[in-house]
Amino acid sequence: MPAATNRQLAVRLAVGRALGRTRDLDDVYSAALDTLAECLGVSRASVLLFDPDGVMRFKAYRGLSSEYRAAVQGHSPWTPDSVDAEPLLVPDVRREPSLADYLPVFEREGIAALGFIPLVSLGRVIGKFMLYYAAPHTFDDEEVQLVGVIAAAVAFAVERGRTHEAARRSDSPRGYEPNASVIGPWEWDVTPGAPAGQHEGLPSGTLRQVRLCEIENDRDCLKIVGLDGRLLYVNPAGLAQLDAEDSRALVGRRWIEFWPEKDREVVEEAMTRAKAGAIGRFMRPTRTLAGVMKWWDVAVMPIVDSSGAVVQLKAVSRDVSAQWRAESFQAGQHQVLEMIATGAPLAQVLTLLVHVIEDQGEGMVCQALLLDADGTHVRLGAAPSLPEEFSSRFDGQPVGPRIGACGTVMQTGRPVILTDIERDSQWPVLRDAALSIGLRSCWSTPILSSKKKVLGAFAMFSSTPRGPSCEELRLVETGADLAGAAVDHHRSQEALRQSEERNRAILRAIPDWMFVLSNDGVYLDCHVKDPKALLVPPETFLGKRMRDIMPPSLAEIFERAFERAAATNEPERLEYTLDLPHERRFYDACIVPCDSDKLLSIVRDITDRKRAELDAAAQRQELAHLNRVLILAEQSGALAHELSQPLAAILANAQAARHLLDRTPLDLEELRATLDDVIKSDKRAGTVIHRLRDLLKKSNAVLQPLDLNEVTREVLDLTHSDLLLRRMPITTALSPGIPLVMGDRVQLQQVILNLVINACDAMSTTEPAERELKLTTIADDECVQIAVSDRGVGIPEGQLDSVFDPFVTHRPQGLGLGLAISRSIVVAHRGRIQAENNSDRGATFRCFLPLASGTSDFGVGRDSVVAMMPPG
Amino acid sequence: MTDVDPLSLAIVDDDEAVRTALRRLLRALGHDVRVFASAEEYEAQAERADCLIVDLRLPGLNGFELRERLRLRGSPIPIVFITGDGGPSPSDATAHAGTPTVAKPFSDSDLIAAIARAVSSDANVH
Repeated sequence: MPAATNRQLAVRLAVGRALGRTRDLDDVYSAALDTLAECLGVSRASVLLFDPDGVMRFKAYRGLSSEYRAAVQGHSPWTPDSVDAEPLLVPDVRREPSLADYLPVFEREGIAALGFIPLVSLGRVIGKFMLYYAAPHTFDDEEVQLVGVIAAAVAFAVERGRTHEAARRSDSPRGYEPNASVIGPWEWDVTPGAPAGQHEGLPSGTLRQVRLCEIENDRDCLKIVGLDGRLLYVNPAGLAQLDAEDSRALVGRRWIEFWPEKDREVVEEAMTRAKAGAIGRFMRPTRTLAGVMKWWDVAVMPIVDSSGAVVQLKAVSRDVSAQWRAESFQAGQHQVLEMIATGAPLAQVLTLLVHVIEDQGEGMVCQALLLDADGTHVRLGAAPSLPEEFSSRFDGQPVGPRIGACGTVMQTGRPVILTDIERDSQWPVLRDAALSIGLRSCWSTPILSSKKKVLGAFAMFSSTPRGPSCEELRLVETGADLAGAAVDHHRSQEALRQSEERNRAILRAIPDWMFVLSNDGVYLDCHVKDPKALLVPPETFLGKRMRDIMPPSLAEIFERAFERAAATNEPERLEYTLDLPHERRFYDACIVPCDSDKLLSIVRDITDRKRAELDAAAQRQELAHLNRVLILAEQSGALAHELSQPLAAILANAQAARHLLDRTPLDLEELRATLDDVIKSDKRAGTVIHRLRDLLKKSNAVLQPLDLNEVTREVLDLTHSDLLLRRMPITTALSPGIPLVMGDRVQLQQVILNLVINACDAMSTTEPAERELKLTTIADDECVQIAVSDRGVGIPEGQLDSVFDPFVTHRPQGLGLGLAISRSIVVAHRGRIQAENNSDRGATFRCFLPLASGTSDFGVGRDSVVAMMPPG
Repeated sequence: MTDVDPLSLAIVDDDEAVRTALRRLLRALGHDVRVFASAEEYEAQAERADCLIVDLRLPGLNGFELRERLRLRGSPIPIVFITGDGGPSPSDATAHAGTPTVAKPFSDSDLIAAIARAVSSDANVH
């Protein structure tokens, strides 16, 4: 097993090395094919990718005829949108029914077994690579695993290559920009007798048009190459960059030998172009004499003699390793961030991140471990380059030093650098496992949230016992940093998703309709559990102004409410009705500002409730009327007195007039005065009758501005004789000029009448001398108060509220409805009524009614009062 | 109408319209009439009248109480009650007894008859 895991690690590292430095897509394909040959011993293979048109085409291949490629081009077991694609391994093509059509093609090409390996990026199939075997082949588990590793790396490299190419297409050429003195052809003076080269390695003859010092001082690696391909001269900067002590290690050798075999064709081609008088360019990596891998941006140009013939070549190479590395790192980070942003699964993001970091370090493997949400257990984030049986050991373990450096890091929140795993005692369990797969040192740093909470650990492993370079430390930190961003984002997305799910559940549960509108009243969205309940389907109003949908008067009320809600940032409520062909429906809307430029209107159909309210109001109306009838019945004596007074005066006057007529001379003045008095008394009787009729009538409430003092006086007029008879001395303190209230005259008279009767009843057992009935009116900024106080028995403790309940009475007569009716009337007037015991004796009832003016919401209030008082 | 000789009459009624109308009527019938708005106002003056016409329902002292006060003081003045609520209330039935009472609205003949009854019964008593 250790041998197998070592092989796996070796394959992973080889794949990383081969693909990590690839510059463009062709490099990726050829590196992929190299790796397949190297790691799996497969000499025939191909890489195919989906083109933008969705057709899968060959991008690179080895050992395949053009006939075969033409015959199978476009065949793919997957579509560009396939997800969760798994490798399809065909041990024997003759036994695979789905490939029956292709059997003749396979036979001609000598293919007996096949492997379709999907290339998956961001969960989607981007292409495949194919393995071809000449004999039936059984794939063992390890092979399958390795194929997966290679496929992941190839897919990643392809995506990265595509990103690069896209960047290259969109950007201006970057990198190499030779200075004026070295760009373009040089002319080489080979005139006999010219002074010899003054510098070692420089051939005899003089360069025209360029000063030697410029060549000497050029910062790039500048070489002169003979037409035979051998190096003639390397400038001092070049010697230094190639780690050469002097030019002897280079001069005289063929330039092409310094390039890896697979790139020599490219170098050759550049030289050929230069020999033809043009400029050849390429960018390739190669190692220095000290074995350091560097990336070079190379321009090869001709040197011509005075006749114009190319006599030598100059090659200018710029070391662009740093830029390349930085750039690929940047691109990699960008891709990671893009994945985070597009909400790719966390495991995929972390896998890509590990690849990006591994790409930057030579021969390093990385691992991201996460801390569970409970903060005590470890979860594997990503370790694509480590054998699964190693990395899976961490998953589910309790955090702490027992699981190695990363466990300590997660517990302490501080980085750990383990320079030699073998000699360290911190890894009791995992040490041997780590050593068995060739890991010798480990640098781990905490993954922190934006709020500096430990989320996990990002570790880099090396196969040699050593400490990290500054660059490597920076890489680990970058890895931890990006991992933190990924986990943070993932968790916040998760939280958001859960909250959205909750919200959706709530939305599903509530019966209200919700409309999102712009501040100026355009419907943007709606949520309605049952769209059929809407009067019109959503598509007919979404995007339109409320004004165009609702009746104009209603839209105006809404628009004013929108303005107020937007201005105050407070919810606005309004009730409204819609008259449908067969019925009137009632709605309640609550308008809430949201998102600074939108409004949420939550609408509820309250028709059922409203109808119940109306029924209750009708019953109340009946009771109120009954109350008035009962009052009048009780008061019949007093009322008869109120009528008999003017009638007595009229009769007396009329008879007096008749006697006056018998006299001579006629006292016309006295007669006129008599008739005037008749008229006056008749009117007085008429008024009493009108008031009686009002009180007895079942009529709709009529809201009008009322002077409460006047209403009080009317009540006292009506009860005057009764109060006299019952020996209830009455005093009034009516504030002059109090503001008007909006109300129904008869209903408010009824309230005062009830309070007066109640006060008189309370004083029935009070000594006449101690009786006092006092009516007071007073106003403040918001309401007018009328207080009726007595000096009676007072209200029993604990019954201050229940006195308003119906059928609660302390009187032998009456139904106990008076105060209950009074309260319902006052509440319908948006007022309130309260009872209190006086400090010395008796009780005071206070009734508060809102002012008629300055009450902007009264429009609604009036409607609701009226609505409560339907035709009786 | 002329059943009685011109008399000096006092009327106590808190209702000005009633007061004025009765004064006018009784003066047209040739009587001398003085009016008072309350029992207290009547008591405050010393002038004697032949008959007192008093409303039962009054602020302060009511008609019955005024009669009691006068009786206690030994005043022999004949009294006629006028009332607005159509007849004596049961609780006051005994207090009523013996005093002629007319219910508003009443005609001049009813009033004169009551005055005549009061004056004559008073004469009978004394």
